[in-house]
Amino acid sequence: MSALVDDLIDGLALGSVYALVALGFVVIFKASGVINFAQGSLLLFGGYLTAVLHDDLGFAGALAVAVLATALLAGAVDRLLLRRGDPDPRMAHVQTIVTIGVDIVLLTDLSRRIGGDLLSLGDPWGDAVVTVGQVTVAESRIAAIVVSAVAIAAVFALFRWTPWGLSLRAAAEDTEAAALMGVRLGRVRMLAWCLAGALAALAAVFLAAFPAPGLERTTGQIALKAFPAAILGGMASPPGALAGSLLIGLTEALVAGHQSDLHVLGEGFGDVAPYAVMVLVLLVRPTGLFGAKGAARV
Amino acid sequence: MNTTHPRRRTAAVAGALALLLAATGCSSKADGKGASSSADGVRTGPGVTASTIRLGALTDLTGPYASLGKSIVQAQQMWADETNAEGGICDRKIEIVVKDHGYDVQKAVTAYADIAPDVVALPQVIGSPVVAALLDDIDRDHMLTFPQAWAASLLGKESVQVIGTTYDIDMIAAVDFLTRTKGLKKGDTIGHVYFEGDYGANALEGSTWAAQQAGLRIEGQKIKATDTDLSAQVSALRQAGVKAILISAGPAQTASLVGVAASRGLRVPVVSSAPGFAPQLMKTPAAPALAAMLHIVSAAPAVSSELAGVRAMVTSYKKKYPGSPVDSGVLSGYNAAQLIGADLQKACAAGGLTREDVVRAHRSRSHADTGLGSPQDFSDAASPAARETYVLRPDAQADGGVVNEEDAHKAPGVDEYLSTRG
Repeated sequence: MSALVDDLIDGLALGSVYALVALGFVVIFKASGVINFAQGSLLLFGGYLTAVLHDDLGFAGALAVAVLATALLAGAVDRLLLRRGDPDPRMAHVQTIVTIGVDIVLLTDLSRRIGGDLLSLGDPWGDAVVTVGQVTVAESRIAAIVVSAVAIAAVFALFRWTPWGLSLRAAAEDTEAAALMGVRLGRVRMLAWCLAGALAALAAVFLAAFPAPGLERTTGQIALKAFPAAILGGMASPPGALAGSLLIGLTEALVAGHQSDLHVLGEGFGDVAPYAVMVLVLLVRPTGLFGAKGAARV
Repeated sequence: MNTTHPRRRTAAVAGALALLLAATGCSSKADGKGASSSADGVRTGPGVTASTIRLGALTDLTGPYASLGKSIVQAQQMWADETNAEGGICDRKIEIVVKDHGYDVQKAVTAYADIAPDVVALPQVIGSPVVAALLDDIDRDHMLTFPQAWAASLLGKESVQVIGTTYDIDMIAAVDFLTRTKGLKKGDTIGHVYFEGDYGANALEGSTWAAQQAGLRIEGQKIKATDTDLSAQVSALRQAGVKAILISAGPAQTASLVGVAASRGLRVPVVSSAPGFAPQLMKTPAAPALAAMLHIVSAAPAVSSELAGVRAMVTSYKKKYPGSPVDSGVLSGYNAAQLIGADLQKACAAGGLTREDVVRAHRSRSHADTGLGSPQDFSDAASPAARETYVLRPDAQADGGVVNEEDAHKAPGVDEYLSTRG
C-alpha cells in the first residue's frame, strides 16, 4: 500500500514539473503557432545559471536571476531570430525548425560548460524527508508540487484576468481579427516566449533537486517527456497540458514502480509508457484531451 | 520571381559535387600496409618513423565523460613525457595524438579515419558505443587498442584489449562480497539496476549467474542514461523486499539510487560497478548515504591505495597538474600507457614496430605487471585479462573519493563461470 502511495506522490511531483515545461510549449504554440524544440535547452540554461550563481547570490537570488535571464533569452530568441519583421503566421513551420537549430547551439555550449559534472543548485531542501506513517516523501517533492501548483495557477490567472491573457486568447483564436482589433501581436508573442522561458528555468530546479543528484548536461532532455504531455492535452489548451502532464507523470511512476509485473511488455517500459499513453489518447480523441472539437485545419 | 535558370543551377550543383569528389579523392591517404625497414634495422609501419612513435587517443573532452577523458589524456601525456625524458622507446620519442569525439559515434568514426594512418596503437578509446562502431576497422588495421569499456562482448578480437576484468566478473565479485560480508543468504532477493546496452547486459549476466549459484534471486530494473531520478525503481525494489542492491549505471544514477533508498528507509548495502562512481558524488546531498551504504567493485585499486607504484604516480601527477583531481581515470590511463610502453619495448626487442609486431608482442605477455594493480594475462584474446577485483568504499577525504576496503582477490566461481561461458 505504502508503495502505491509513494508511486502516486512521485508521479504527481513528476507530473507537476512536466506541467511547467508543457505549459511553456502550449503558451508558445498558442501565441505563435511554433512548437519550441529549444524548451529543453532553455531549461538547462536556467538550471545552469542557478547552479553557478547560488554560491554568490544564495539560492533565491540565483533562481530569480536565472528565471529572469531565461525569460529574456527566450524572448530574444523570438524577437531576434524567429520574428524578423512582421509576424506572419504562415511562417510557423519554418520557425519551428529554427528552434531546433537554437536548441543545438544552446545545448552544445551548455554541454561543453557542464561536461561530466553534477552541479548542485543549492536548493534549501537537500535530502530532507517527511515521514507520515509508512510513507516517506522527500521535501523537495512536496516543494515541487506546491511551487508548480502556484506557478500554474498564476499562469492560468494571467490568461483569464489580464489584458495580455485576453490578447493571447484572441490572437490564438483568430490572428487577423485580433490584429485588426488592435492587439499588438508582436508584444503578446514575445511575452509568451518570456513566460515559457521563466517556467522552464523554474522546472530545472525541481528536476535537479534531491531524488536526482544534481544538474547534468542531459537534464534538458526531460522536455521530450513533457512533449507528449502537451500533445495529448491538445497542444493549444493550458488545462489540457496540466492534465496531460499529470497523466504522463503518474503513468511513468506507476509503470516504473511495477516494472516486474509488466514483464510481458519487456523491460524498460516506463520510458515508452508516456508515448504509449499519448498514442492511445490520440486514437480515441485525435485533437487531444482538451483540444477544440472539430478543429480541422486545412 | 525566380531568376536562376534551372539548368544552370543543376550544372552548378553537379560541378560542386564533382569538386567535392575530387577533393575527397585527393585526401584519401594510403592505408600504409606496407612495412619498411628503418636505418637501425627495426621494421616500421604506420605511426613509426626513425625518430618517433606516434600513439592515438580517441577521447571525450566535451561530452558526458569529459572529466574522465581529461584525466586519462593528462596521465598518458605524463607517461609520454617521463618516457621521453628517459630516452624514449626503441630510441624513438613518444608522441600522442589526441582527438576529441565528445561521445559522438559519428565524430569518433571520422576521427579514427583521420588518425588511423598515422598511429601505431590506441592506448585510449572512450565509450562502449564508440568502440563497438570501430571494432571491425580496428581489427582490420591490426591496431592495438585499449578501450575504456569493459563489456565481455569486446573480448575475442586480437587487436582489442580490455584491461582488467569485465563487468560480469565484477558483479560475480559483488554478489560474493554481499553473501560473505553482508549476511545475504539463500532465498534472499538482490535488486540490480542496470543501463540498457552492453554494459548493463553484461553486468546482469554476471549477477544472475552468481545469484543462481548462491540460491539468490535477482530483481532487475533496466534504466536509461537519461534517468537520473530513481524513485520509482527504489519503490519497486522495496516492494520486492530486496536485501541488497547492485547498480551498473553512471554516477548520477548511483547517487540518486542511494539517496532515495536512504531517504525511504531502505538502508541496504549497495554495490556498484566501477563506472558507477565519480569523486564528484561526494559533493552531492547523497554523500552521507553513499559513505554509509555504497561499495564499488573494481579491477583497479583506489587511487588513494598504498601500492608503491600508485603512490609514485599520484605524487608526480599532482606535481605536474596541480589542481586537477586525481581520479580513477588517471590510474587507468597511466596503467594503459605503461602497458602499451612495455608492448612497444618488447616488439622493438623482437625487431619490429609494425602494428602486427605490436599486437604479437602484446599477446605474448601472460604476466604483465605495472605495479598499479593486479597483474594481467594478455595471451588469450577471448578471456578477460584479469580475474581479481578490489572492493572500494567512498571516502570524501581520500584522493579519487574512494579507499580500498578489500584487496585484490579472485571471487569464488569466477573460473567456473568463465569456463561455462566458453
